[in-house]
Amino acid sequence: MRKRRQPDNHDSSTGIDLAPMLDFVTNLLIFFIITAVFVKESGLTVNRPTSFEQENKEDSKSIQVQILDNGEIWIDNRAVDSHAVRANVERLSAVNPDSGVLILAQDKAPTGVLVEVVDQVHLGGVYNITFSTTQ
Amino acid sequence: MQSRRHAPESEDTGIDLAPMLDFTVNLLIFFIITTSFIKEAGVTVFKPPAITAVNKPSGNLLIAVRENGDIWMDRRHIELRDVRTLIERLHIERPKDTVVIIADKESSAGAVAKVMDEVRLAGITDVSIAANPNGGGG
Repeated sequence: MRKRRQPDNHDSSTGIDLAPMLDFVTNLLIFFIITAVFVKESGLTVNRPTSFEQENKEDSKSIQVQILDNGEIWIDNRAVDSHAVRANVERLSAVNPDSGVLILAQDKAPTGVLVEVVDQVHLGGVYNITFSTTQ
Repeated sequence: MQSRRHAPESEDTGIDLAPMLDFTVNLLIFFIITTSFIKEAGVTVFKPPAITAVNKPSGNLLIAVRENGDIWMDRRHIELRDVRTLIERLHIERPKDTVVIIADKESSAGAVAKVMDEVRLAGITDVSIAANPNGGGG
C-alpha cells in the first residue's frame, strides 16, 4: 500500500491513458464551435418578378421607387433623398395599404443605394418588395 | 500487486475520462455536421448597412458580387453561367438551404439581379441580399 500512494505519473497500467486524446478532441471541438458562430449572414429578402407581364400588371397598384445609374432615387416623378424614402412610402402606403413596393433599378445603379432603399421601405412598414431592373 | 490485477470496480487511479470523452466526441460530431455545409464566398466585400436586416439561419450558400462584377462562390471566381449549375447541385444535396448574395456597395444592381435570376432558375426562391445590421446609418 505504501507503494501505491506514491505519485505514479508514469505507467499506472490501467488501460490506455485517455487524457491526450481528450485534449485533442477538446481542441477540435473549440475550433468548430468558434467557426460555427461566425459564419451567419444577415440579409434583406426581396422578390423578383416571375415574368415581365406580371411586372407590368402590378404597376398600377404598387408604389414605384426608381433608382438611376447615378444613385438618384425617384418616387412619384420627384427626386428624393434616401432618408425621405421612408416618409414617402409611409404616405403612399397609407393611401393604399395593400400595395407593395416595386423598386425599378437601372442596370448600373449601385447596390448600396438599393439596399438603403429596401431598408427605408422596411422602416416605412412595407415588406412586400419586388426588385426589377431596367436598361 | 495481485489485488490490482483483478477487482475491476475499485481502482483508485484518478478520474475515469471515458464518459467525458464520449460526451465531447458527440459534441464534436454535432458541430462538424452543422458547420461543414456552409459554402463561403471566399472574398472580402464591403456590405451595405441596413437597420432592418434580419439573420438568415438557413442562408448557407453565399455568393459574393464584387464592385467590378466578379462573382465568387465557394472560394472560387466563377462565371455567371456557372451559378445555375453549382446552385442546382447544392440544392439537390441540401434542399432547405437558402442563398444570400453578398453584394458590394459599389456593385451594380443589374449584376445582382442577374445572379438572383440564375439562382431562381436553379430552384431556390428564397434569395436575400446581405447587409450589415450594425453599421446602419440609414
